[in-house]
Amino acid sequence: MSVLCPEIPTPGFSFENCKRNAVLETKGFALPKAVKTGTTIVGITYKDGVILGADTRATEDTTVADKNSEKIHYLAPNMYCCGAGTAADTEMTTQMISSQLELHKLYTNRVARVCTANQLLKQYLFRYQGYVGAALILGGVDVEGPHLYMIYPHGSSDKLPYGTMGSGSLAAIAVFESRWRPDLEEQEGVQLVRDAIAAGIFNDLGSGSNIDLCVIRKGSVDYKRTFDEANKKGVKQASYRYPRGATSVLSTRVVDIEEVAVQRIEPERMEIA
Amino acid sequence: MFATENAYYPDYSTKPIQHSFSPYADNGGSVVAIAGDDFVVVGADTRLSAGFSIYTREQNKLFPLSNTTVLGCSGCWCDTLTLTRILKSRMQMYHQEHNKVMSTTACAQMLSTMLYYKRFFPYYISNILVGLDNEGKGCIYSYDPIGHCEKTTYRAGGSAGALLQPLLDNQIGQKNLTKVSAESITQEKALAILKDVFISAAERDIYTGDNVMINIITKDGIKEDNFELRKD
Amino acid sequence: MFLTRSEYDRGVNTFSPEGRLFQVEYAIEAIKLGSTAIGICTSEGVVLAVEKRITSPLMEPTTIEKIVEVDKHIGCAVSGLMADSRTMIDRARVECQNHWFVYNENMSVESCAQGVSNLAIQFGDSDDDGAAMSRPFGVAILFAGIDEKGPQLYHMDPSGTFVQFDAKAIGSGSEGAQQSLQEVYHRSMTLEEATTAALTILKQVMEEKLNASNVEVMTMTPKDLFHMFPKEQVEEVIGKLT
Repeated sequence: MSVLCPEIPTPGFSFENCKRNAVLETKGFALPKAVKTGTTIVGITYKDGVILGADTRATEDTTVADKNSEKIHYLAPNMYCCGAGTAADTEMTTQMISSQLELHKLYTNRVARVCTANQLLKQYLFRYQGYVGAALILGGVDVEGPHLYMIYPHGSSDKLPYGTMGSGSLAAIAVFESRWRPDLEEQEGVQLVRDAIAAGIFNDLGSGSNIDLCVIRKGSVDYKRTFDEANKKGVKQASYRYPRGATSVLSTRVVDIEEVAVQRIEPERMEIA
Repeated sequence: MFATENAYYPDYSTKPIQHSFSPYADNGGSVVAIAGDDFVVVGADTRLSAGFSIYTREQNKLFPLSNTTVLGCSGCWCDTLTLTRILKSRMQMYHQEHNKVMSTTACAQMLSTMLYYKRFFPYYISNILVGLDNEGKGCIYSYDPIGHCEKTTYRAGGSAGALLQPLLDNQIGQKNLTKVSAESITQEKALAILKDVFISAAERDIYTGDNVMINIITKDGIKEDNFELRKD
Repeated sequence: MFLTRSEYDRGVNTFSPEGRLFQVEYAIEAIKLGSTAIGICTSEGVVLAVEKRITSPLMEPTTIEKIVEVDKHIGCAVSGLMADSRTMIDRARVECQNHWFVYNENMSVESCAQGVSNLAIQFGDSDDDGAAMSRPFGVAILFAGIDEKGPQLYHMDPSGTFVQFDAKAIGSGSEGAQQSLQEVYHRSMTLEEATTAALTILKQVMEEKLNASNVEVMTMTPKDLFHMFPKEQVEEVIGKLT
């Protein structure tokens, strides 16, 4: 392998362990559980653009795996995408589509359109028949104006003025159904999205911690990481400092520094022949 | 190759369909108890949930059985309701038959036999029984769903039990510490640790949150305390 | 009572016009044919002493058991129909074991008596609880035990009525013995004094001459609980009698 030209691995997924894992599973070695986002993600269109929102809890079964996970992913300067489902899938899918959009932008010399991103994402997800477990809310502003897409793990998608996804989607959609209307002001929109995410955080056990927001207007983006801390952590009552010597010493060995031999290693010359 | 035959077309499957009866629900919740020389504190969160939804944020899971005995339950709530009702009537029957209030130790044994009685259709509950023993010392009995009973001085049970027990082992049991203090735990320290472990449980266990109901049992009776947790 | 004797003394579940259950009263009378048993309760413990009727020199006296252990902390002396007493003692033992199994504590003497009483009144017609006895049990029992209230002595008759006593005599010599007990009993009695008193009274009311093989003595103390006197110890106590 040459140092200057690293080998590019073959693209796509590797299935080489599938057979082995299937055999292991029949012998009682269950696969480890993947981290799910168990999420509330939402998006709305308003007068001048779109607003995306997400909670920040990631769960592994019934335990919280990440208390401040970032679920609003960057796709392009004018596009962001909320992800729910398997954490790794949402993360990698959006990253990959993001790079394809960047290449697309360079080829065409135009700002990528939201419908293009939707097409790329749904085609990718369809190819994997739902095994790539990503449920996405894609939002962005392009020459046509603001757009919002719901993209489901099997590859279908909706274009909607507002929508929610994830385990907290029911709690959040209730807020939108009662309060969303066309041509909301930005201030109202931000408040509405905040309230929808908060509804998910408090009423869905899979969602929790903080509220992230992302406002996308024509020509500008406001990514508000930790827009609101919905819950304050409790204040500890007792002190948990250990006194010196609390940890037991199992064995001791004193080395005389004088006797330690220091060997200087000359760096090898790089092979350029 | 990996998926079973006709996994995508269940309607066309030729295999018999197996329906299962699942009479249990996991309604979550955690119980923590710490005993001292002349007191015992027990706390339970007040969240009642199923799956990803919350049924209520204010469900008390502590059941005083006498002036010196309290039972903390978490797990299948309908089983808890039934078990505690039967327990209550057994306490009253004992009082009437034997002309005395059932002691914590007697209650502990009775609960064990009641649980084992349903060995093959158990009450799906994590029980922690606390109280003062015949000498007035704080004592804790913890159970598995089919009646195994263990007497301890501190215990965490329920959905965050596995998360909290190691913390109690270290902070109260003084496990893995070389400098061990001989002093027994004070009521103030026990309460502080009890509240702190619930704060920690609410951070990581989705079934623990909203509020903690605390019962402090001394020779003067049962005192109640309440403590707020995060609500997400 | 024989004056009003009539058809009403047949059924165990029929009251006479005067409101009496003759069969129960007859059962109580039957006790007066039984051997004498005496129980005295002191602050140190309880003592039970019974006479054994050795009706034949060919009889093996040790096979007559009139004082038995119910649990480590409860013993009882019986008088009347011995066969009936076995059933009741069995019940008392089961009650005590069940109480220990369910509550992991010693059953109180009163509760034990209550349990046996529930059996004693199950005569008459059969019901859901199973077949009933056709007649009342012909047994009186003295329960001696130690519980959280200290030394306790209870007496129960065939009607199932049970009452706590400081000192009680049952059986054929009970009337005279009870009179004597009333005279000798006082609150500050020691267990030794009580043992001597019990045997002295027994000696007075017994037809045969009292010896180590025709009496049984048992003490129940917080320290040693159920303690049946071996023959030597009985002889020792008899030796001290004036």
